[in-house]
Amino acid sequence: MTTVGPISRETLLAYADGQLSAAEAETVEAYLAANPEAAAEVALWRRQDDAIRTLFSPAAAEPVPLRLKPARLAAELKMRNRGRWRLAAAAVVLLGLGLGAGWLARPLFERAPAASEMLIASAVNAHRVFSAENRHAVEVASDEEEHLVTWLSNRLETPIGAPDLSPEGFALKGGRLLPGEPQAGGRAAQLMYEDAAGERVTVYITAALPDRKPAYEFTSRDGAAAFYWANEAITCTVVGTLPGERMKAVSQAVYRQLTGGGGIGAGIAGDYLENG
Amino acid sequence: MGDLIAEIEACVPALRRYARALTRNADVADDLVQDCLERALARRGLFRPQGPVRAWLFTILLNLYRNGLRASRRRGETVAIEDMPSEPMTPAAQPGHMALAEIARAIEALPPDQKEALLLVVLEGVSYAEAAGILGIPQGTLMSRLSRARAALRIIGGTSGEPYLRTVK
Repeated sequence: MTTVGPISRETLLAYADGQLSAAEAETVEAYLAANPEAAAEVALWRRQDDAIRTLFSPAAAEPVPLRLKPARLAAELKMRNRGRWRLAAAAVVLLGLGLGAGWLARPLFERAPAASEMLIASAVNAHRVFSAENRHAVEVASDEEEHLVTWLSNRLETPIGAPDLSPEGFALKGGRLLPGEPQAGGRAAQLMYEDAAGERVTVYITAALPDRKPAYEFTSRDGAAAFYWANEAITCTVVGTLPGERMKAVSQAVYRQLTGGGGIGAGIAGDYLENG
Repeated sequence: MGDLIAEIEACVPALRRYARALTRNADVADDLVQDCLERALARRGLFRPQGPVRAWLFTILLNLYRNGLRASRRRGETVAIEDMPSEPMTPAAQPGHMALAEIARAIEALPPDQKEALLLVVLEGVSYAEAAGILGIPQGTLMSRLSRARAALRIIGGTSGEPYLRTVK
């Protein structure tokens, strides 16, 4: 009998578990023949294996219940998915209906925008459109200032004047008449001023709002600053893209001149411009 | 696709056997297999199993089994009525009978990772490499688990020279 060197426990385990090649298994068998203790151990493992198989193998021989047939499960899965698609489609339809109803019911929920918001938006919009123009920036130029003021006052049915902004470095370039919403002061007059550097400021004036209440608002919109005020005679929005301090100075000058430079309203707006 | 379904179907008996051995409860085992099959079928479009379908299915089954274990550990164990220990047992008719019941209890008492490994290799005849892949562990770890499982069975199962049963071919 050939003597065989010691064989590791791992190899013995692998042998017992049938993991070795035929040649390797032969070597192990030779070793086991010479080592009864190891042989007894392997025999024990083999009996464990037999027991495990005897205990649990029968489950594999039982007829497979219908619910474990893959083809059937796959079909059910497809049905379920189809149902899910149908649900998803229904959800899309419902969402569409909801959006449609919401759109139609819009006027019920929407708050009418405040007149000041509309006026500021119009003023900024007009500023952007016409201050970008070169030859047609104004309808009536400043060399006809008297005509311009009379004409605009007539159209607005409200006496207005063109403020003098020369202390602030701005000269009147001219003005134009613009359409407007009846509930937001009606037609509007836009006066345009320009400084030596070509920087432009516009003053957007309408007749007083129906409520004739004083209001003040300093805001920025689409990259332009806007100072808005309303009183019992007019609404006025000064729009420009000047740095904060200069914008404030121009706005104060316009305000002072168009409100006659005094009164309670002037005080409030003056404070507003100082602090706000 | 039809081929894959046929391949999966061929694995169902083995999956049931393994699940039954793990859970010791026919209904729980079949539920586990059904979950496993559904998951495999649902994923088959997105995820083409690389390698053998059997390994893929066993991996899914084991993941579901472990998730179930974690859940039942949180809930507290439920024991099917037929699994309640009924002492005293009827005396063994053959010497092998008692030993079988004993070894079944010993397997049940094994830590889950050892039980999973032992059953995969012994009952399912899976190669070490494939079993390590299914369990997601290195082969060395697999072998040490097998070795520990065998040692535990030996202590509980006794070392009598008497074979547990006549080897059935």
